[in-house]
Amino acid sequence: MGPGRVVNIPLELRVNGDDVAEFVEPRTSLADFLRDKLQLTGTHLGCEMGVCGACLVLLDGKPVHGCLVLAVQAAGSEVQTIEGLSESGLVADLQSAFHERNALQCGYCTPGMMMTAHRLLETDPDPDRATIRRALSGNYCRCTGYEAIVDAIATTAARRRTEAAQ
Amino acid sequence: MELTGTHTLSQPPEIVWAGLFDATMLAESIPGCEDLDQTSDTTFAATVKLKIGPVSAKFKGDVELSDIVEPQSCLLSGKGSGGMAGFAKGSARVELRAENGGTILTYTADAALGGKLASLGSRLIQSTANKLANEFFTNFGEVLSRRTFSNKSRQE
Amino acid sequence: MTDRAGHIGTPHLREGALRHLAGRGDFVSDQQLPRMVHAAFLRSPMAHGTIVSLDLDEARASAGVVAVFTAADLNPRCADWTSQLDHFVGMTSAPQNMLAAEEVLWVGHPIVMVVARTRAEAEDACDKIFVDFEELETVAGIDVALNADTPPAASGVDSNLCYKNELKTAGVDDAFANAALIVEGNFAFGRHTAVTLEPRAIIADHDPATGQLTVRHGTQTPFQFQDVYARHFGVPDHKVRVIAPDVGGSFGMKLHVYNEEMATVAAALILNRPVKFLADRLESFVTDIHAREHRIHARMAFDADGTMLAMDVDDVAPIGAFSAYPRTSVVEGNQAYRLMGAPYKMKEYRGQLTVLFQNKVQTSQYRAVGHPIACQVTEALLDRAAAELGIDPWELRARNVVPDDAYPAESATGYRFEKLSHEASLQKLRSLMDYDGLRAEQTALREKGIYRGIGLATFVEITNPGVAFYGVGGARISAQDGAVVRLTPGGEVHCAISVTEQGQGTETIIAQIVADQLGVAPSQVKVTTGDTDATPSGGAAWACRGAGIGGETALRAGRKLAERITDIAAALLQADPANLKLRDGAVVDRGTGEVRLTLAEIGRIATYRPDTLPGGVDHSLSVAQHFAPSGYPFGFTNGVQAAWIEVDTETGLVTLLKHWVVEDCGRIINPLLVDEQIRGGVVQGLGAALFEECLYDEMGQLLNGSLADYLVPMAGEMPDIVISHIETPTEDTILGAKGVGEAGTAAAGAAVLNAVNDALHPLGTRLTQTPMTPARILAALGIGQA
Repeated sequence: MGPGRVVNIPLELRVNGDDVAEFVEPRTSLADFLRDKLQLTGTHLGCEMGVCGACLVLLDGKPVHGCLVLAVQAAGSEVQTIEGLSESGLVADLQSAFHERNALQCGYCTPGMMMTAHRLLETDPDPDRATIRRALSGNYCRCTGYEAIVDAIATTAARRRTEAAQ
Repeated sequence: MELTGTHTLSQPPEIVWAGLFDATMLAESIPGCEDLDQTSDTTFAATVKLKIGPVSAKFKGDVELSDIVEPQSCLLSGKGSGGMAGFAKGSARVELRAENGGTILTYTADAALGGKLASLGSRLIQSTANKLANEFFTNFGEVLSRRTFSNKSRQE
Repeated sequence: MTDRAGHIGTPHLREGALRHLAGRGDFVSDQQLPRMVHAAFLRSPMAHGTIVSLDLDEARASAGVVAVFTAADLNPRCADWTSQLDHFVGMTSAPQNMLAAEEVLWVGHPIVMVVARTRAEAEDACDKIFVDFEELETVAGIDVALNADTPPAASGVDSNLCYKNELKTAGVDDAFANAALIVEGNFAFGRHTAVTLEPRAIIADHDPATGQLTVRHGTQTPFQFQDVYARHFGVPDHKVRVIAPDVGGSFGMKLHVYNEEMATVAAALILNRPVKFLADRLESFVTDIHAREHRIHARMAFDADGTMLAMDVDDVAPIGAFSAYPRTSVVEGNQAYRLMGAPYKMKEYRGQLTVLFQNKVQTSQYRAVGHPIACQVTEALLDRAAAELGIDPWELRARNVVPDDAYPAESATGYRFEKLSHEASLQKLRSLMDYDGLRAEQTALREKGIYRGIGLATFVEITNPGVAFYGVGGARISAQDGAVVRLTPGGEVHCAISVTEQGQGTETIIAQIVADQLGVAPSQVKVTTGDTDATPSGGAAWACRGAGIGGETALRAGRKLAERITDIAAALLQADPANLKLRDGAVVDRGTGEVRLTLAEIGRIATYRPDTLPGGVDHSLSVAQHFAPSGYPFGFTNGVQAAWIEVDTETGLVTLLKHWVVEDCGRIINPLLVDEQIRGGVVQGLGAALFEECLYDEMGQLLNGSLADYLVPMAGEMPDIVISHIETPTEDTILGAKGVGEAGTAAAGAAVLNAVNDALHPLGTRLTQTPMTPARILAALGIGQA
């Protein structure tokens, strides 16, 4: 291959319930694909090495770092971003709890926090504060100091348990 | 950052010494070496492709042999610019000692990284440098053996 | 001072937060414009050297490349910038421009700018550029920089001394000579950096047809940049529009002029299309301003009954190869040595500040500028004295703080305090944390070989700065703000104001304040910020001025509009304006509360039927009002923090068990927002105390340029933080509010430093260096090497 020839390969997958067919360079990350090609900019980039959690998306239901997955690796899969998760209504109570508790400030870490919180409460409906903190330890936030986020998740868990009991 | 090592080679010091000054030998021994040209009796220009931690780079640089005490010791110094990746430089004092018909080669080397390589790879420099030094001297020994063996075969 | 009205003091929720929860934030890093191209930079891998040759041919031919710029292409388009504030007499700094022309001054100094269709293609092209350097002597490390024989870090200055000054009261030598006890310490505070989750981002665009330069810039201070771009690029400022949309964290880092942002503007002026630069995480570590490195030798003098008499501080503050622009790199040290001992009755002081150049990235203001340093040194020496004198640390502080009834007061360094509440804060903290209970628990656990510590830290915080900060020094940084408030035709309210929002809740508190003046709900007030075309010019966000100064601006503008509306209503109703007031979206009778006219009616009439108004009535429904602080040069706040921690003496790990803050920031507009600002600030301070440090080798190479190696506080390591308030409003404004954004960071590190030393006290050792890493703690315990 000579210098300067860009190789694009076809990619088909589902994003937020929609069929997507695009051409991508093999080296494009899933996060860059979602942001640049599909303009789903709710998924953010903070470190591009899987440490900060800003780029978390759901790949076939499991949270992955969009910066560590190549777009082509998601071929044939279901991807859900914060936009899709928000529209699904599945995190409406988490969103309300975050809002009421002022558990976000600049908002840049918030989509990643939503992903982690959503996944935590799916797998553990009654987490104590230490468990919540541990679960959040892959999500960097510089603004809030984390406590309000822990509160919001604990509140949501408690509300869900109450509702389930009724 | 300093590292030391010892290698035993089956050839006598004179043969080993000659190998150190041989451009083809060096080209085959330096890990990731793509090009090596002799630019004078004691200097070479090299292009080497290396991966240090998460950073891959093509280095363009110079290798120089100095402090020459034939056939006992010399100083090998290299300095390469990796462009956007930064730079790497290092030197190794190499000493040869005859033993049982072969050579004990000892080296004391130091290496420094600059730029992106230092910012992302500084934790890995010790282990990477060790690995590269080992690879170099292992390759060197193998190439030397092959050459000597084939020379011998031709002689026989 | 006004009577407490409905919306001020209530925890209104932030409307602006909802879009972030849905992933609909609008950050510059998200924005895409038609025909936009991307910038990447080839940077110096060495800390100091000269450029011998550049090979750009391969790069120019690389796929997708639109332009390759060197200093020769870009720099002539921009007037050099030189860091200078006149009140730092004698400060010096070499002029700077966008790309390194001959001399490279730090690892990361940009040399070549590549603009391409995509960022990836720009980086591919950078990969093909080879630069030949000649190495020059690197200035890295305080002792190297102090050595008079070391050549200057930058050829544009004569030495490595940027600034030097001494403050001295007349009686300081006597105070030390006659002291019953002198405690002293050598402190080292590690260089660290903001690590905003959204890195720096900018999109610049130029339309040659109109001469309009539009810059979308993730910054706290759009007006400062409007002025910088206008003056340095020779564009009249009314043709420069700076838009600061959502910003993913700033904390002061995004106040400063950077080579890359200036180069992006220059590229747009040449290419006449949108040019975007987004720093990646490595670039952030390497080129964002760093902060807070100090080496301090300090002494504190006491008399026999524990009265603090004096402090003597020698502060060496190493910066980068030049001072930052336009706010300088001197302010950090200036505030550190002037804030020493500030909460206390101490009369005598000597402070020496030496600011030194190094071949490292520039340093400048980062959240709590200088406060954490002054607090850590002061509070650590106090604890040391308490131990020597056999006085409880809380008790020693209570004896020495400026009493609550002793105001106005002045510090030994010349700071003037209107009215603070140190005594009340200390009392409140003692009961809030159950100080006696924790001491008992500490003693009991020590018997079992468990080492817990309590650390206290009293602090003051500079907020609401007037022109004393920058203006008098000649910098074009505004200390005033302006607002335009208008009643819409539909009877709602719009407020365009120069203070800005980065998530702290500025827009929400402005809405609350304006709503109060006009008798509407905050949800009826739309607040516009962050666009130099859409709001008046002002200082925007820095040094905790949004609530105190921005709030006062909004209050006065709101009142002015309320008056205007009342006058219009009075004219329409032929009533006396004194008998009317605004309530619940209407003009009502002051006595009976009967609704006379709704705001919607007033909006309709003034907009569509001004002919029905009596002659001579000013029917403009828009009013403008600016406000600049007068009175006290700074609006000081105060507080006290406490940390309760445990040290594992086998691993050196510190567990943060709990943290308390008692804070007095004057009149609180929104307690929900204030408390979360404090928590976020505390955690930033904890990060610096325990984890964060930019590590360099002697060749000026940054060794930890990623989040794997530079440790930031994550949720699992942070404590819950209990907060309580005292409210001492300022009389300088009607609103009475002061700032709070930096308070958490000001004292958190000091509290933890004292707590760790309190825990280790029985083992006969202490730390005087931050971050207090496990290796350093173990070294202090005689295990291993730091």
